[in-house]
Amino acid sequence: MESNAYTRTAIVRTVKNAPAGYLDLTIEEPAIAGAARPGQFVMLRFGRTLDPILPRPFDIVETVGNGRSFRLIIKIVGAATRLLESVRTGDEVRVTGPLGAPITDFNCRSLALLVRGCGAAAVIAFLQEARRRGIAVHSVLSASSASKFILRDEFAALSDTLILATDDGSAGEKALGTDVLRRLLAERKVDRVYSCGGGPFYLPFLEEWERSKISPVYLFLESYMACGFGHCHGCAVPRRDGGYSLVCRDGPLFRLSEVKDPCLIYQ
Amino acid sequence: MPDLSVTLAGVKLKNPILPASGTLETVDTPMLAGDLSQLGALVNKTVTRDRRDGNPPPRVWETAAGMLNSVGIPSIGIDEFMKGGLPRLRARNDRIIVSIAGFSVREFVELAETVAAAGLADFIELNLSCPNLESGVLWSTDSGLLAEVVGGVRRAVNVPLIAKLSPNVTDIAEMAAVAESAGADALGLVNTFRGLAIDVRVKKPALGNTTGGLSGPAVKPLALYAVWSSYRRVRIPIVGMGGICSWRDAIEFMLAGATAVAVGMYNFVEPGCMWEIRDGIDRYLAENGFNGAKDIIGLAHRNQ
Ligand SMILES: Cc1cc2nc3c(=O)[nH]c(=O)nc-3n(C[C@H](O)[C@H](O)[C@H](O)COP(=O)(O)OP(=O)(O)OC[C@H]3O[C@@H](n4cnc5c(N)ncnc54)[C@H](O)[C@@H]3O)c2cc1C
Ligand SMILES: Cc1cc2nc3c(=O)[nH]c(=O)nc-3n(C[C@H](O)[C@H](O)[C@H](O)COP(=O)(O)O)c2cc1C
Ligand code: FES
Repeated sequence: MESNAYTRTAIVRTVKNAPAGYLDLTIEEPAIAGAARPGQFVMLRFGRTLDPILPRPFDIVETVGNGRSFRLIIKIVGAATRLLESVRTGDEVRVTGPLGAPITDFNCRSLALLVRGCGAAAVIAFLQEARRRGIAVHSVLSASSASKFILRDEFAALSDTLILATDDGSAGEKALGTDVLRRLLAERKVDRVYSCGGGPFYLPFLEEWERSKISPVYLFLESYMACGFGHCHGCAVPRRDGGYSLVCRDGPLFRLSEVKDPCLIYQ
Repeated sequence: MPDLSVTLAGVKLKNPILPASGTLETVDTPMLAGDLSQLGALVNKTVTRDRRDGNPPPRVWETAAGMLNSVGIPSIGIDEFMKGGLPRLRARNDRIIVSIAGFSVREFVELAETVAAAGLADFIELNLSCPNLESGVLWSTDSGLLAEVVGGVRRAVNVPLIAKLSPNVTDIAEMAAVAESAGADALGLVNTFRGLAIDVRVKKPALGNTTGGLSGPAVKPLALYAVWSSYRRVRIPIVGMGGICSWRDAIEFMLAGATAVAVGMYNFVEPGCMWEIRDGIDRYLAENGFNGAKDIIGLAHRNQ
């Protein structure tokens, strides 16, 4: 496997605190931005602190600024992400990337996508490429309430159909993401189903759909990571045929039927 | 230009910086941060006789200035390793340490014989200290077993042996002395410290295997003391490790008595750190007027 990942000190070019509880960052690093492919992520560290000491994984949302920069959307959840809240334009961060297996398989004509919360960050670059290849995209975007949608405009621009669902009914339908997806799949045939986010709650329906053999299901997985590049074996996910795959090296995207009890960290 | 080379158990290394076993994948990896041939030696992730999958997730958990891991030695098994892994490792550096772990003295001996027969290893490292294997640390926490396993392998092979010991003992210098008398040519000090974390969200142990091994800067003073006290007790050379993140840390270990130093978890944080540490040692030696890296091994004892 040839490596095209780099560890660099990069400059934060723009910082937005939107929506509340999230950071929307643009980071200038031409080598990493230039090498990034759909489905990849970076390991990011801010402040060279000893606690937290490990860098954290964040999806490359998209490449911007003539391919010199990339965009991250970060949910503030714990020690490292809280530290990032103090990031300002012009600050330096340490970044390793692009990491993960790029998505190269676009062998389909249509796909359905179920996304919740920060899962949105993982799929934009993938959808951009899918659209470029003329694949029809039907998206279901789920959130607890209207103010919690991430990248909603991007989804609208990249989807042939977009259905919004909220837990409290403040936008779109008051419904569970999986119920909306179930209906969508009953109404139109798609070649593939993709899902990202939603923790373990989406699994029962996705597994049911996979068993139906109507269209295969693909899942963007998360895992605790130490390195992000296949050295620590920390990010293992059990494989259905025995043994483990590494989320950082073999994923983050997996065919649902290949993995067993994927550890979906619920935030 | 100071001479960075050191001699470990009769084998010359071009510099004293090595990766710690299990923290640098050298074949089939998506990322290498530097030129592997420029490190003092390479070491594989410990290999076992049979194929092993490793432990259930979560396998890593961050702690203050360190991390717990319960990876549990996923291994392709010795046959695959001898066919694929070792020849490819061999091609990447002129010095290779092969780390092995057995579940009985017999297994250790057979593994060592297989490795020695191929003639591709400069050293065999006996991992006598994995806290994530059932009975893993017993090999170096029970002096009788330690003497038996090191002695058994010693009688079977001529390749220089590094005994990698567990810090989970009352007096590691005592265990170092046992390993030395049983025929070890060098010591690896230290493996991880057994530890625990509890995930308060789910109210149960955070790691899939319940306990794990602690490493990183949090353990550095403990590891440094292990090297210091063993250096006073034994004559065989020491590969020092535990929390090394910078050239300053590496120099501390050498001044305390380490002939070579290994970097573990910090490879995950700063993938290029080993090469920076090597350059930092070079600068330190030059600035302090030393002719070579050898001159500082154990110097803190003589300066006391
Ligand atoms: C491939 C991948 C891509 C990701 N992309 C994004 C993204 O685009 N945007 C975003 O907001 N989040 C993303 N995450 C999750 C993000 O990495 C975690 O939210 C973050 O690590 C939390 O760090 P913390 O210190 O703030 O939280 P803490 O909970 O204090 O972290 C403690 C430990 O848990 C680990 N951890 C906690 N939550 C997660 C998690 N969900 N996944 C992996 N490790 C976790 C941390 O690395 C650390 O070791 C991604 C995770 C993975 C694996
Ligand atoms: C993820 C991980 C995997 C490890 N795997 C092994 C192993 O397979 N064999 C071994 O002898 N030591 C293993 N170790 C221990 C290291 O080689 C080293 O002794 C220890 O981590 C202390 O160094 P550090 O503080 O620099 O990490 C592992 C450590 C970590 C963090
Ligand atoms: S995070 Fe280290 S191997 Fe995947």
